[in-house]
Amino acid sequence: MLEFSILFIIPLITAVLCYFLKSIRLQYIYSLSAGLLHLIFTLLIFIGWYKPNLPFFFSFDSLSNLFLLILSNVYFWVVLVSFSYLKRPVNSKAQDGKKYYFLLLNFYLFANTSAILSNHFGMYWVSAEATTLSIAPLIYYYRNEEALEAMWKYLFLVSVGIAFAFIGILFLTLSANGTPLESHQLFYTEFIKNASKLNPVWLKASFIFIFVGLSTKIGIAPMHYGDVDATSNSPSPIAALMSGSLRITALIGVLRIFQIVRPTTTFEFAKIILIIGGLLSILVAFIFMFKVNNYKRMLAYSSVEHLGIIVLGIGIGGLAFVGAMYHIAYNSLNKLVLFFTAGNIHRVFKTREIKDVSSVLKILPWTGWLFMLSFFAISAIPPFGIFFSELMIFQGILFSDRPWLLAITMFMLLFIFINMGKTIFNMLYGGKENEAITNENESFEVIHFATIVLLILLITIAVISPDILHENILNISKDFGFSL
Amino acid sequence: MELITTIKGIISLLVILGLAPVFSGLVNKLKAIFTGKIGAPILQPYYDLKRLLKKETINSGSSSFISNISPAINLVVVIIAAAILPIGFARPMISFDGDIILFAYLLGLARFFQILAAMDIGSSFEGMGAAREAAFSVFAEPIFFFTLGSIAFISGLTSIYDIYHSISLDNVSYIVFIIVCSISVFILAVSECSRMPVDDPNTHLELTMIHEVMILDNSGIDLFLYQYSSYIKLFIYAMLETSFFYPFGVKSYTVGIIIFIVVITALSMALAIVETITSRFKMKNIPQYLLFATAIGVLNLLIYTFTK
Amino acid sequence: MQNVLSILFCLSLFYLAVTSRVKAYVSVLQFQGILLTVLIVFPFIKHFSVFALILPATLFIIKVILIPRYINRIIINLDIKRTIDPTIQQFTFLLLIIFSMTLIFTTSNILSNSTDIETIPFASGFSAIVVGIFVIIFRKKLIIHVAGFLVLENGIFLFGTAVVSELPMMIEIGVLLDVFVVVFLMGIALNRISSTLSGFEVTSLDRLKD
Repeated sequence: MLEFSILFIIPLITAVLCYFLKSIRLQYIYSLSAGLLHLIFTLLIFIGWYKPNLPFFFSFDSLSNLFLLILSNVYFWVVLVSFSYLKRPVNSKAQDGKKYYFLLLNFYLFANTSAILSNHFGMYWVSAEATTLSIAPLIYYYRNEEALEAMWKYLFLVSVGIAFAFIGILFLTLSANGTPLESHQLFYTEFIKNASKLNPVWLKASFIFIFVGLSTKIGIAPMHYGDVDATSNSPSPIAALMSGSLRITALIGVLRIFQIVRPTTTFEFAKIILIIGGLLSILVAFIFMFKVNNYKRMLAYSSVEHLGIIVLGIGIGGLAFVGAMYHIAYNSLNKLVLFFTAGNIHRVFKTREIKDVSSVLKILPWTGWLFMLSFFAISAIPPFGIFFSELMIFQGILFSDRPWLLAITMFMLLFIFINMGKTIFNMLYGGKENEAITNENESFEVIHFATIVLLILLITIAVISPDILHENILNISKDFGFSL
Repeated sequence: MELITTIKGIISLLVILGLAPVFSGLVNKLKAIFTGKIGAPILQPYYDLKRLLKKETINSGSSSFISNISPAINLVVVIIAAAILPIGFARPMISFDGDIILFAYLLGLARFFQILAAMDIGSSFEGMGAAREAAFSVFAEPIFFFTLGSIAFISGLTSIYDIYHSISLDNVSYIVFIIVCSISVFILAVSECSRMPVDDPNTHLELTMIHEVMILDNSGIDLFLYQYSSYIKLFIYAMLETSFFYPFGVKSYTVGIIIFIVVITALSMALAIVETITSRFKMKNIPQYLLFATAIGVLNLLIYTFTK
Repeated sequence: MQNVLSILFCLSLFYLAVTSRVKAYVSVLQFQGILLTVLIVFPFIKHFSVFALILPATLFIIKVILIPRYINRIIINLDIKRTIDPTIQQFTFLLLIIFSMTLIFTTSNILSNSTDIETIPFASGFSAIVVGIFVIIFRKKLIIHVAGFLVLENGIFLFGTAVVSELPMMIEIGVLLDVFVVVFLMGIALNRISSTLSGFEVTSLDRLKD
């Protein structure tokens, strides 16, 4: 009961509390302590000091352990920087946005925890939709036209997409006809045990529907539009939250159905679908990096790219799967850093257009250097974590039966790196002086602290490579039937 | 026994020929009452027909023999079609396997000659009306085949009399099926007999007319023939509709007649109500209205072929 | 009985295709809500229990009362014009629906040979899903998009009853609540869109491009 109350009930209570508390500071303190409690508890579970036992629709396994830790970590840092972000002056219309900010964040934590820990497809669907609902008003924080449009598109596209995922879930029930699972509940664990008996036609249909439906939420091309719009127009903490944790919450649904498909004849088909989805996403990022003129949008496309790499890795299987699991963890840390620093740039320059931003290093030295470092991190430069995970994925691709995929992927990644680098160095150095921006010394804020800690974390995890993490990821790949 | 059946058939036909104008009069009377007027007497169509008989026939100078024969062909063909339809449970005069096709194309033939005659006169208004009639009948014909045709398909019979006899209402979904069919037949009747949402029989502007514009230049006995055949046509469609409701459990001649009277009164009521509450559609919306009825037919067909 | 309700459901879809009024869409949603309520109440008539009535009651309240009322209020508040502004002709739209329905019915009949599904509700539900997507694609007004989304949801519900999956009641209610909140948020967004972007059509959403 303890685990249930800390993971579920406390975020919910905090959400209710935030509704009644007028002071933003109090809301912040309560939310932060709830988030911290959540993080500590999740860490305890992850290390194995606490053996959790959840009621009916929920359960723990290695996969949900890892994902819950990522969610909890991302959430904690986002809440930590939120207060300093909310204090910043924004236009008067956006004052309303503050009132429900923490309420929605807490509700998001509740819904997302429930989605990750759910052991039942129906429960997963309800919670995943609830995360969309809690994040949608947050996208509209700035109360301007772009944010409104982004919110509408995100809400609509994802709701329709997730409705498709529901059709996929119903197909899954159909595939269970005539097996011991018939007229049983849709528990993952039951399905995974009896997977080989499922009807392959319906299973195939189910996989396609669930993958395509959820890819609106993951941001897999060609369904990435809503996601990119939303990420690029929401306030930075929310963008970090979406890139770092919301996308992988949707990914866990795909992973669950993939796990069911694993021992069946549909497996090859599912792999091909995932590979196509991954490649398409990298391709979309590759194309749009050439013409992107909004740096937050650029980061959003970078998210599309990295989720594409992850899905590609999952589709390849074997070592690439292990790499993809690492990549999920590193990518979510890295996206936090990128969006936090980009948010700082946005605050000072008041624009998201790349051409209006220059000499960031001179005006904002802290942010500038950190932004550069996080760019190196996301471009897989050692010693940052992404380097190691991408290496693992590439090695997996190389030794799989489709080594030529590696050439295509590497080619596109190279150009993405070049284009991103060109843009970012233009922003950091640049020649054009902007008179409107006063050249005052940047003070060291919570955001910088968070960014530095996260960057150090990114390096240390990669270099030390804690056994507990490695073991957990190996357990996941064992659950998926990939032996190394 | 054979003789009695034949006599019943002949009586049915005579009933149709005699009662057809009354039905029109009834609809008009009810419509007048709903709109708060007193309206013409129910027997008014008879007076109209009688008046037309007295008048002289004048044809346009540019018209050919088509204009002379078309009204007569029109009436004869419609009467033959009427002879295929059963009233109550009497076997109609003409009844054989496949007469459903004959029935549809007899009505098509009547329409064809009417269109031909309208073009023959050489007036631009008539030509326009003929074009419209032809265009809309393209959309109206599938309705017939998808509704009656679907019942024929389900029952496996091809004679109208047999098809109606095979309808049995012991199954709940069959009742809904019949009700849905009757909706699309109603729409068919409305469009074929140029009633309200599709065409306004009482309009006075040539540009908005469909059916009436084709007989603008006819007079005297020709107009009589056209008018009379259009009354019969309306009555035929009314009977197509009523035939759906015969077999409520009992299959006897008298009950059939009673149901016939009740349903036909109800139908005239329905027509009058529809004409009162709706206004005429825009010309461009008519095809979709007719396609809607076809869609219902298609749905019926789909559902009943795939019900296990 | 299920078949009868499915027929009526399909008829309402045809009506959606030909009507050109915004109000008619709301009435169709209401009608479909009633049909679905009847559909799930029906099995309980034989063995009645109060507990089993919670789900139909929630369904009825959300789909028949709350959502249509809410949409109607938006229409009145925003003073949305009565017509729906299609991007293709109604006739073509109806033709498209007839063809896809025929395809769906035939396919599901073939599928029903190998799997235990109720063809008619299955195909009707799937048709509603397709029609909902068509409505979203071929209509300009955003409020009609919301209606299209709801038709899609109704289709999924019907579809769910056809595949005889018994989700636990808690989850079914959760699904319904989610749908309601989606519509609620969309309504708020519509309000804002009409005031800030001054328009209720897709064409006014063109700011975000690459």
